[in-house]
Amino acid sequence: MSMLHQDRLRATLHAEHTEVRVLLIHPMTSGRSVNKVLDASPLHFIQDIHCWRNDETMLTVKCGPATAENPYFSFRLVGGELGDKIKVRWVDNLGEKGAVQALVK
Amino acid sequence: MTSTIQSGRRTVLKQFISASTLAMVAASGLLLPQRVLAHWPNDAFGADTVEDVLLALMGQADEIKNSDVTFSVGKPAKLVTNGQSVTVEVASRLANIERVAVLVDNNPNPLVMSFDLTGSVMMPLKSRIKIVEGESQVIAVIRADGKLYKTTRNLRVYAGGNP
Repeated sequence: MSMLHQDRLRATLHAEHTEVRVLLIHPMTSGRSVNKVLDASPLHFIQDIHCWRNDETMLTVKCGPATAENPYFSFRLVGGELGDKIKVRWVDNLGEKGAVQALVK
Repeated sequence: MTSTIQSGRRTVLKQFISASTLAMVAASGLLLPQRVLAHWPNDAFGADTVEDVLLALMGQADEIKNSDVTFSVGKPAKLVTNGQSVTVEVASRLANIERVAVLVDNNPNPLVMSFDLTGSVMMPLKSRIKIVEGESQVIAVIRADGKLYKTTRNLRVYAGGNP
């Protein structure tokens, strides 16, 4: 079991861009793997991820079950200022939802 | 004589009714194995071949093999011991990028993820994916200005990731 329990987001300001790094805590099982007691894992994966900067949509990611466990994404946003609010929300195939946000440092 | 004709007609009627009911249930989506959200491109993620994925996700467009797309997979590249989590990084100098897709040709469903970008997003995009055991081609496709730019990397995975 992972030590991590919470989604994490970190946004850092560079000269001409803002670097955003997101780690979502999710099993991302495809229904094809088996665990140690040979139970088949259910199909359970994040489908949709949205990212906003100050309530303006920046990026949408559609994921399939082949995304690795605890999905990690990093990308850059043009420009940006200290204190911009970066927000990420996700929803999985069973309707579970999560959100994480941070200010640009 | 009359009764056999009658009973035959009944069977035909019954069969017709059950068949049409089944067709209606199938069409209404009640037989789908999981609840599918409407905005998630089910046809693209469910497709079995790279061509079908690209057709469903990117539409008809000219494919260009282009050096403007730089793309790295795994550390070290070409040899991955754990297919559960393989780092993928897509970068490009192209302008007006609308969509970026990452595919693995030997995965049961080739499409791994797709990014929809706005003008404020810059490359590189980095993430981690699962890849099946054996030799696979990892493919990055970028749609920019109505054209598809495709780049592939071959690599060998020693322990598969059950994608």
